[in-house]
Amino acid sequence: MRNGKALLKQTAMAAACTFCLIIWGAGPGQASELEATDSGAPSAKVMFPVSAKATAPVASMKPVLFNHLIHEKAVEKCETCHHTGDPAACSDCHSAEGKEEGKFITLEKAMHAKNIAVREDGKTPSSCVSCHEQQTAKRECAGCHSTISPSYDAAWCSTCHNVNVTPQQMADGANGRLSEAANLAVATKTVQETKRAASPATLGPAKAIIDAIANEYEPCVFNHKRHMASLMENIKDSKLAAAFHTQPETLCATCHHHSPLSLTPPKCVSCHPVAIDRMQPARPQLKAAYHLQCMGCHKGMDVKRPVNTSCTSCHKAKAPAAEAPAEAAEK
Amino acid sequence: MNRRKFLTFMGTAGVVSALGTAKVAKAGVETFPYYDNGYGVLHDMTRCIGCRKCEEGCNKANKLPAPEKPFSDLSVLDKRRRTTPTAWTVVNKWDMGEGKFAFRKQQCFHCNDPACASACFTKCYQKQPNGAVIYDGSQCVGCRYCMVACPFYVPSFEYGEPFDPVIKKCTFCFDRLKEGKLPGCVESCTMDALTFGRRKDLIKIARKRIEAEPEKYLDYVYGEHDAGGTAWMVLMPKPKDLPQCSTGNAAEAKDAAKRAGLDTTLGNQPMAEYTYGALGAVPMIIAFWPVLFGGAYGMTKRREAIAKANLAKATAEEKQKVMDAVVKVIEKEQGAEAAEKARQQMNEALAEADAPKTDGEAN
Amino acid sequence: MSHQVTIPTKDHLFNMKEFFKFTPGNIINYTLLAIGLVVTWVRFTQGIGAVSNLDDYQPWGMWIGFDLLCGVCLAAGGYFTTVACYVMGMKQYHSAARPAVLTAFLGYAFVVVALLYDLGHPLRLPYMFFFPGTTSVLFEVGLCVATYLTVLFVEWSICPCEWLGKKWPVLLKWRHWVEKCGILLTIMGVCLSTLHQSSLGSLFLICPGKLHPLWYSPFLPMFFFVTSMIAGSSMVVFEGMLAHKARSTHAMMDEKHLTNSDNVTLSFSKAASFILFSYFCLRVIDMLSHGNFHYLFSGYGLWWLIEMGFFVLTPCLLYAKGSREENVGLCQFASCIAVAGIIVNRFTICMIAFNYDLPSSDRYFPSLPEIMVSVFVVTMIVTCYRFIVYHMPVLYEHPDFQEEED
Repeated sequence: MRNGKALLKQTAMAAACTFCLIIWGAGPGQASELEATDSGAPSAKVMFPVSAKATAPVASMKPVLFNHLIHEKAVEKCETCHHTGDPAACSDCHSAEGKEEGKFITLEKAMHAKNIAVREDGKTPSSCVSCHEQQTAKRECAGCHSTISPSYDAAWCSTCHNVNVTPQQMADGANGRLSEAANLAVATKTVQETKRAASPATLGPAKAIIDAIANEYEPCVFNHKRHMASLMENIKDSKLAAAFHTQPETLCATCHHHSPLSLTPPKCVSCHPVAIDRMQPARPQLKAAYHLQCMGCHKGMDVKRPVNTSCTSCHKAKAPAAEAPAEAAEK
Repeated sequence: MNRRKFLTFMGTAGVVSALGTAKVAKAGVETFPYYDNGYGVLHDMTRCIGCRKCEEGCNKANKLPAPEKPFSDLSVLDKRRRTTPTAWTVVNKWDMGEGKFAFRKQQCFHCNDPACASACFTKCYQKQPNGAVIYDGSQCVGCRYCMVACPFYVPSFEYGEPFDPVIKKCTFCFDRLKEGKLPGCVESCTMDALTFGRRKDLIKIARKRIEAEPEKYLDYVYGEHDAGGTAWMVLMPKPKDLPQCSTGNAAEAKDAAKRAGLDTTLGNQPMAEYTYGALGAVPMIIAFWPVLFGGAYGMTKRREAIAKANLAKATAEEKQKVMDAVVKVIEKEQGAEAAEKARQQMNEALAEADAPKTDGEAN
Repeated sequence: MSHQVTIPTKDHLFNMKEFFKFTPGNIINYTLLAIGLVVTWVRFTQGIGAVSNLDDYQPWGMWIGFDLLCGVCLAAGGYFTTVACYVMGMKQYHSAARPAVLTAFLGYAFVVVALLYDLGHPLRLPYMFFFPGTTSVLFEVGLCVATYLTVLFVEWSICPCEWLGKKWPVLLKWRHWVEKCGILLTIMGVCLSTLHQSSLGSLFLICPGKLHPLWYSPFLPMFFFVTSMIAGSSMVVFEGMLAHKARSTHAMMDEKHLTNSDNVTLSFSKAASFILFSYFCLRVIDMLSHGNFHYLFSGYGLWWLIEMGFFVLTPCLLYAKGSREENVGLCQFASCIAVAGIIVNRFTICMIAFNYDLPSSDRYFPSLPEIMVSVFVVTMIVTCYRFIVYHMPVLYEHPDFQEEED
């Protein structure tokens, strides 16, 4: 219970701090106002699919909440997003249909484009998605994010497209007629109402014995709890991770991948056969599946030890019980 | 028409129509007997960790002699190695730039249309329908032209063996495949860096992997088309300091592939096709040269004959001229009768002088 | 400089006294043969690896590069002279034809001998007729060399027939038929020579990745054929020079041979000069048309320039000057450079520019025993040449078989 104790202590401290913060924040501050930004821009903003067309767009997507405050703190320069150098709104140049000012790059492209071509003058713009993906290359994220990529499904979209607006507000926003104050009011409400996912309810088994195919080496003893705790510790301050890890079990899905999120995921061998499956030659066999997962994550996180080729660091060499006397006899 | 006749008739018709269909089926693009359903292996360098388990697996599966240093000794990776008669596969460490290293397993690529097989002048090599290129040393002369021809430096020769030296190379574990087992190296790979499957499926798998992680892989499946296509293919990591190549563009992938020791400049045709032009000229030379030189000989002979005839004619004329002159002088000094007599005598003397020579020639 | 040629007679068939003379030439000759025999013993009891530096990267080294490629090319005098003499009707070169055929026959015969050293299974050489790999260039080479060697043997067999004809008259009948078929044999010879001289170049067409681009070309077969013509003409001059220099062989030359020899040298030099120049142009055009110009500014480029400048253009100009000024000595000097140039070219293709991309630790340099085998083979050729020249009418016309003058 070495780690357990520390964890308990940490949890208790975190709970205490949260409690204090809530008391401190709730006291003087008013629920309807957000912290002000250094630049003077609105702390949060609802981004509508602004269109030049007179008729309001019948958009199925909810508009996006952009928390200017958080982003301002996260990036070094305003030019990271305001790539022209002019602190204008995105929709000034990028409308739903594209405008000449924005070189006919649509708003959708400007926000979502990946693989953006490098500009010769050095002012390569970045979209929301491209910048967020770059963040996953950080060491604490890269372990998981180098082995898996998110499924771009409805839940992923709604992480950002999460503002509830009335049809009238939508129409006004799309036409650019919604006042700044009204926009801020909706944005503030959304920020305050958005809930972030809690931590997983359990850290899983303390030690997992991986012995399904042990023959050449002793079974591998995998410290499940320690790995989980370490992953959580790494991202505990990351607002980006908090926003996109929408379920408590999201973190589990790195290793327990391709199955519905659950605290009791199926065993690896359910999908990864012990010997090659003729119908699915591309699917890693069980042994490779283990190695690919462990080493992939370790490589991504730049874990120096143990090196990949040090077999006995993870699974001990089998005690040469039967062979030893035979070998000795040969000698 | 009785029953037998009818059956014979129908049978003949059947054979004829079958021949017809066979011809139609054969028409179309001519290829080397390329076995579409053959197996292959996809080697994913990004997965390989250089543990040498494949070398060990190969050694065991083929009952090769134990190496000098054990397979667990990874220090051998520091030096570039090649396949030898006792190590049919070797793993090498390659510098991919910016301090990143990658490992690549080297073995026979089992080409679709193997250079070694086309180069062998005693038909020792055969491409099997299951994809393997196998070698039978029982009729090998030991000329080693296959080693010259192989663009991948794979076949190795037993130089130390005085009496029965033959070529040794990876067999794709041909006998194990027949038993339904995986090749020794593939079976022992701990990372599934070696994926066994039908070649056509492997290409799809490779494409999918590149598509899923375009930053990780070089967008080039080595062996898909190189040297006419190979059964064993390689996926390479994209060096960080080099730009991504356009899909399957050999020229753009050249520099990146070179870091992994792979040559993308071999071209898309089988290596043997480089020699087809020269071999195709053989019948033409056989047909044309005798005509050319025979003609030259004929012309020479004719020229000689004409020269000889001209010479004979000129000599005769000269003789006649001299004789006429002499006769004229005699006629002037001694009269016509004496001149006629002298002419006769001179003709006789000349004929006499020519006679023995002609006789000699006749003999 | 009239002198008497010792012609073996029925009762006095052998003329071996030259071999037993205690001269430096003989001593070197026998020493080299003795060393060669030792290396031969080691080669055939310990394996190829025991005597050579050949390895898996460099399967073809000195033995193929010198004995086969140079041997075959330098024996091209046979077809070149017979075509000039019999097909083109240049009768004045008649005295050069027999020595040329002899050296060609010896050259080819010993190419096969040298090949036995290089082959892992020398006794299986005839397997190529039983399991013919018709897609292989090597098969073409093997088939043509085997056939051409037979043709050369038949062409050359006139000499032993004239030597032994008195003792076994049946040989004279054979000689008669060979004489009758002369032109047929010559044309067969030139066809087969064209094929295998060029296909020796085709051997390297299959490895574009291994041979340096300055030497790799789709026209390799043509280059090999053209250089074989250069070698053919140059070797007649070169061998003529050597035969005249050596006192014992000089003694075997009759009046006709001696009077014609300068004429032969000058005419063949003129021919060689033209062919060398066209070869030079071919190589330069080939280099330019394949976009290889930038390679000239590398180490290999320098080597290419040396080859083209010193070993091709220089003999070309010297030949031209020599034949124009009737300077036999200059022509002979040029022939030395030209022959060296052929060897340089073959060495470059087989060894120097081959595997050019490999790190130097994996490159090849022939071992001493390997070179000794090649020297042994050359020594055997020289010994056989001397034996034949001392006994058979090669450098002189046998009085019994004087050619009829037309």
